Amino acid sequence: MTQSTLEVSHLYTSFFSERGEIKAVQDVSMRIGKGQVVGVVGESGCGKSMVARSIMGLIKKPGKIVSGSILLDGQELTSLGENELCKIRGKDVSMVFQEPMTSLNPTMRVGLQVQEVVSIHENVSKEEARQRTLAILSAVGIPEVKERYNAYPHELSGGLRQRVMIAMAMVMRPRLLIADEPTTALDATVEAQIIALLRQLADNGTSVLIISHNLGVIAQLADHVYVMYAGHVVESASVFELFDNPLHPYTLGLLRAVSSLRSQSKVLQTIPGIVPNLAHLPVGCSFAPRCDKCMARCTSTQPELVAVGSGHEVRCHLTKRVDAQ
Amino acid sequence: MRGSVAQGVLRRLLYALIAIVGVAALVFVLLRMVPGNPVATLLGEHADNETVERISSSLGLDQPLPVQFANYLLGALRGDFGESYTLGKPVSELIGPAFVNTLWLALAAALVAWVVGIACGLFAAIRKGTIVDRLFMGFSLLGVSLPVFMVSMLLQYVFARYLHWLPVAGISDWTGYILPAIALGWGSAGSIARLVRSSIIEVLQQDYIDTARAKGRTNSQVLVLHALRNAMLPVITLMAMQFSGLLSGAVITETVFSINGIGRLSVQAIAGRDIPLLQGTTLLCTFVIVMGNLAADLLYNVCDPRVRKGA
Ligand SMILES: Nc1ncnc2c1ncn2[C@@H]1O[C@H](COP(=O)(O)OP(=O)(O)OP(=O)(O)O)[C@@H](O)[C@H]1O
Ligand SMILES: [Mg+2]
Repeated sequence: MTQSTLEVSHLYTSFFSERGEIKAVQDVSMRIGKGQVVGVVGESGCGKSMVARSIMGLIKKPGKIVSGSILLDGQELTSLGENELCKIRGKDVSMVFQEPMTSLNPTMRVGLQVQEVVSIHENVSKEEARQRTLAILSAVGIPEVKERYNAYPHELSGGLRQRVMIAMAMVMRPRLLIADEPTTALDATVEAQIIALLRQLADNGTSVLIISHNLGVIAQLADHVYVMYAGHVVESASVFELFDNPLHPYTLGLLRAVSSLRSQSKVLQTIPGIVPNLAHLPVGCSFAPRCDKCMARCTSTQPELVAVGSGHEVRCHLTKRVDAQ
Repeated sequence: MRGSVAQGVLRRLLYALIAIVGVAALVFVLLRMVPGNPVATLLGEHADNETVERISSSLGLDQPLPVQFANYLLGALRGDFGESYTLGKPVSELIGPAFVNTLWLALAAALVAWVVGIACGLFAAIRKGTIVDRLFMGFSLLGVSLPVFMVSMLLQYVFARYLHWLPVAGISDWTGYILPAIALGWGSAGSIARLVRSSIIEVLQQDYIDTARAKGRTNSQVLVLHALRNAMLPVITLMAMQFSGLLSGAVITETVFSINGIGRLSVQAIAGRDIPLLQGTTLLCTFVIVMGNLAADLLYNVCDPRVRKGA
């Protein structure tokens, strides 16, 4: 098997607050091959952004990576110091943040904010950095780049700002680009354009980790999907397999929510109940309180992630039983 | 875009002018509502009515108020603020040198306030929650809450009378400005430090700081290149407002340290019911304060592209 661009194994990330340890990421493992697009879905607060920030080494205090390993092309990132991480961020791994409206510096011209990335990582002349900036800005579909280069963020629409963010993340041709809800704040047309842009990026060899709470976006873009619930990966499969043969009750619920959106039914199908408090997780399966197939075992023992087919893994007691038959 | 910036500047200048004339009119009217005839005061108890009237009319005090005001403004435009009743000299000759002394004092105090305030605020912010933070914030709280006269006398006592490091009062060379500048600037330094601290802490939590870090900037680069400018925006306004505060604080400091500045001159003018002199000092201070605020406005515009357009 070829080496993965990213290999996360048994990652645990927690916040240590006065109210105790908040386990935002628990035992998360994922791998992304070269040029592969991998999606992460899950409800708000399930730890998607924390996985991304753990990879970037950008967990804010009082949070930190507790254990686990993150390999980028075989290089361990969790043991690197801040200085070494600075050399990797923006160059080898880059990230597009969730909020395009607030993720750009309001008092700096957008062109310079992109150009900055080039001058941090490469010893090139100002003029060359500028040329590369202009090139990447037009590559992400920004019209009239020469004028936009000098614009301030508030002078651009949300879609253009997100393109600037993507240009910033792409300009060094990183090995891995993490896009955290890149289209949430945008309308459908712009969303389609951004998705096409990321697709094109992957076709050129960059591995992409796309985070979304929207299965539709993931379905259009990703090859493989990780479904997260309360800090855990509860199911992982190729996109086709996941839509064809969803096994975890939570995944089933998510899919029902999507199809009820598609069929425009008046009542939006949602999964009843709320996400558990990450500081006081239930003893057994964290989804048990909301699960309509909950059994006695589910509230006492935490299920393991088990393989049920090629590249398909599920964390559910129900699946184990089906598997054993 | 150039045109709109120039228009904005012109409009602000116009507002500034209106503010100055408005304050001048207010002061003019207020001073004339003070009971008692200044000429009578000037001439002493034994002057007869006829003399008082003769002098009043020679000073133009028998004319209607609007006419007096217009004459006064026309004179002021030529640099003629009338003659001091008590010192017998043209007001312009008195306030000129006094203003220079006050300006030096205020600038020295502003320097103390800005340098100390920004440095303390910055360190407190990046060492948030540590002993350094608490020390600096305690120090600024002290500066904000202690009255200027008390700080002045305390400094005088410790550094001049007791340690003999610096002159007690009066300005013979630049060392004379040190203690008054600290006394006057400490309070402002305190409030600047607090604002700088909270502003930096807030800015460091913004999303664009994450973006900068994700680019590969080191923490100190993020602070200098991305956080500082945004954090200074609210501070600029405070600094301008405080410059006005420094001018009024100068009244006390100048008195304690015997500096012949505008503040001390104003106190003299009030004591002697010297209307032309008081009018002159007030008008000058108004002018300086309005110009200070105008400068801050323009500076804010240069620093914050978001307000530049609507300016
Ligand atoms: N500063 C913090 N202090 C304590 N807990 C935090 C902090 N930041 C995040 N968390 C916890 O981490 C959990 C995961 O957060 P994360 O941002 O990864 O969610 P997410 O899946 O990205 O959600 P969303 O779709 O809303 O972006 C949250 O439920 C929250 O409880
Ligand atoms: Mg998130």
